[in-house]
Amino acid sequence: MRVVVADDLLLTREGIAHLLDQSGIEVVAQAADADSLLRHVRLTTPDVAIVDIRMPPTHTDEGLVAAQQIRADHPEVGVLVLSQYVEPSYAMRLLEEHPERIGYLLKDRVFDAALLVDALRRIDDDETVIDPTIVSMLVGRRRRDDPLSDLTPREREVLGLVAEGLSNRAIAGRLFVTERTVEAHIQQLFLKLRLDTNPDSHRRVLAVLAYLRSAS
Amino acid sequence: MPGVRTLTTRLTPVWVPAAALAYAAAAIVAVPRGQAPLRTYAGASTPAFALDLTAGLALLAAGSVAWIQPRLRRTASLTLLAGVVWFAPDWEGWEGGPTIVRSLGVVTAPIFLALVLHLTLGYPSGRVRPRSARLALGAAYSIAGVVGIGWALFRDPFADPGCWRYCGANAFLLHGDAGLALGLRDAWLRAALALGLLLAVAAVLRIAVAHRDDRRRLLPVLAPAALVGLAEAAYAVALWRTRFEDPRQTQFALVFAARSLSTAALGLGLVWGALAVRRARAAVDRLAAELRATPPAGALADRLAATLRDPQLEVAYWLPNLQRYVDGRGAEVEPPVARNGRVTTPIVRGGDPVAVVVHDDTLLDGETLGEAMGASAQLAVDNERLNAEVVARLGDLRESRARIIEAADAERRRLERDLHDGAQQRLLALSFDLRLAAAAASSGGDAGTAGLLASAVEETQTALDELRDLARGIYPAILTEAGLGAALATLADSAPIAVTLDDVPDARYAPAVETTAYVAVLEAIDDATSRGASFADVRVRRREDRLVVTVDDDGRPRASELTRLEDRVGALGGRLELDQRALRAEIPCA
Repeated sequence: MRVVVADDLLLTREGIAHLLDQSGIEVVAQAADADSLLRHVRLTTPDVAIVDIRMPPTHTDEGLVAAQQIRADHPEVGVLVLSQYVEPSYAMRLLEEHPERIGYLLKDRVFDAALLVDALRRIDDDETVIDPTIVSMLVGRRRRDDPLSDLTPREREVLGLVAEGLSNRAIAGRLFVTERTVEAHIQQLFLKLRLDTNPDSHRRVLAVLAYLRSAS
Repeated sequence: MPGVRTLTTRLTPVWVPAAALAYAAAAIVAVPRGQAPLRTYAGASTPAFALDLTAGLALLAAGSVAWIQPRLRRTASLTLLAGVVWFAPDWEGWEGGPTIVRSLGVVTAPIFLALVLHLTLGYPSGRVRPRSARLALGAAYSIAGVVGIGWALFRDPFADPGCWRYCGANAFLLHGDAGLALGLRDAWLRAALALGLLLAVAAVLRIAVAHRDDRRRLLPVLAPAALVGLAEAAYAVALWRTRFEDPRQTQFALVFAARSLSTAALGLGLVWGALAVRRARAAVDRLAAELRATPPAGALADRLAATLRDPQLEVAYWLPNLQRYVDGRGAEVEPPVARNGRVTTPIVRGGDPVAVVVHDDTLLDGETLGEAMGASAQLAVDNERLNAEVVARLGDLRESRARIIEAADAERRRLERDLHDGAQQRLLALSFDLRLAAAAASSGGDAGTAGLLASAVEETQTALDELRDLARGIYPAILTEAGLGAALATLADSAPIAVTLDDVPDARYAPAVETTAYVAVLEAIDDATSRGASFADVRVRRREDRLVVTVDDDGRPRASELTRLEDRVGALGGRLELDQRALRAEIPCA
């Protein structure tokens, strides 16, 4: 797998590159700002670009904008956005236009090599990656007459994994059950929550996230 | 209501003063002079004539002047009656006059003393309040009435050896009884002595007990009234000593002079009093007119411009405390300068310039302007300047409050960014190193060190989580980056109670507005949570130039104020309304 790393801090950039190198993933380029990131992506066409959300010049959402642009200009390039903020809005903004080959992770997770490599592989497999912290916050959100209270614990678990962007196969692997069982759970919980998106589509992550945020 | 009063004054029936004037003219014509036989005091000498007329006319004039003031109407009536009765002895002595007139003169004369007593007790309103005074007055009128009617019915002047004014037929005679008439005369003289003294004592007493300010008002009337009382008492004594009254005798001449002079003084005192009331009224009318003419704050320049026909005229007020010029509405203006045919005229108060008028130099010069400014305009200048200063200070205060809030917000943003770029990055680097070390230890077979390092990684992760929460609590970066809607959504995601968001506008507003709206929702949710609420419904709407934030919850009734939030909203010129379970913040966002 070929990866471009963009972060304005040398330390983080080098750290990630080091980890990926050790995990057998090739870092084809490093970028310190959005412009050089876009240039490297254009020149090297990596499998995935790792992008810090805060980059020069304004240190606000340059990374987010660059990520959306990469997804629009190079559909074959996946993007993993890193952020220090637990902000569902950012994650959903990424998913809205291009719901696959995209990920949003909290920055402090990326030095967990296994987690980082797993996220990159999932993105490269056309999946979606949403940070578990964000998902657990949304699943645990307080609601009046909480519709999630109708779910069994296992259905809740599956709902969370769906929201994290895992495929049915990946969920089955995590829970040590068959893919058919996972499909049954998902059918059941989509029915219970009256989610009208096709449970097998790429858009189901966004639909679930939006549902979790809006359900009162 | 001055308007109504003016109307009443205008509609005052003029026939009363007119009748008084006619009566005075008749008296002047009828009062005989220097004729023989001598039948009146006026006829005795020219000075006596002058005294007689002066006294009577003074009363009639005083009554007429007082009549014009509605609140002196009673006093005026009494004074006019006294003036009419003053001439009664002259009518009695009208040689060749009609019997009925001469008889009326006899009958009415005793009323004079009672009328003056009434005036004395009731001045200035004419109303007699104390019970004792009313009783005394009633007695005086009764005695005068009984004596007058008694004389009318039973005194035959022809049979009276003491008669000198009129010794002809009594028009009202019922039955001539010389003894009864004589008895009535004796009774009247005693009563007149008593009433005269009573009048003097009453007048002096009223002066003595009056408040200092009232005394100045009462003295011109009550002092002559006391003298009238003494003179009438002296007259009664003189008549008591001889049955034969003769104006040429020194004692009678002196007593008459005293009576006339005191009565004339009483009349003049009453005139003075009526004019004083009139002066006070006029002053009040003037003041009212000036107050009506004083323009409302901020309108003086317009008023002056209209008056002077100079539409470009400007008034700038100098506020020494703030060291700046402001207009009538408190807004700062450039220091006024003369240019393009316009000149500046300072308005100076107590040596200090308070305002500068910029006006057309062809229309008027500075001196004329100073003269044109009446007391009312001066008042308006002071009024408007004070108002402008208050408004200017209020504006300064509001700006300074907003600046304090903005500075505090900027400081929080800076702090959050420092944490993000500093401590958080260092902790990240630390956790990276720890993970590498743990991996190395693990692969080197040092399980103990690997375990320690793994737990250090955990600790670092906890520290990162806590630091992230802290940074967000100091300032939510997403508020600056993505606006109110995104920031409130995350707030709702992480709130300890169920929070619904409605209508949050996507538009961006000034940082201070967004932060204040965010803090309002944050504090409302915290407050609702502390009151045991299970949910909070948040609504953010744009209403004209204000952002309106409402939060309703189901907690226990609110017991405390949200002072900090109130200050913050107030600093932006907004308003915070708190209900038991509802909060409403209006924040100007134009």
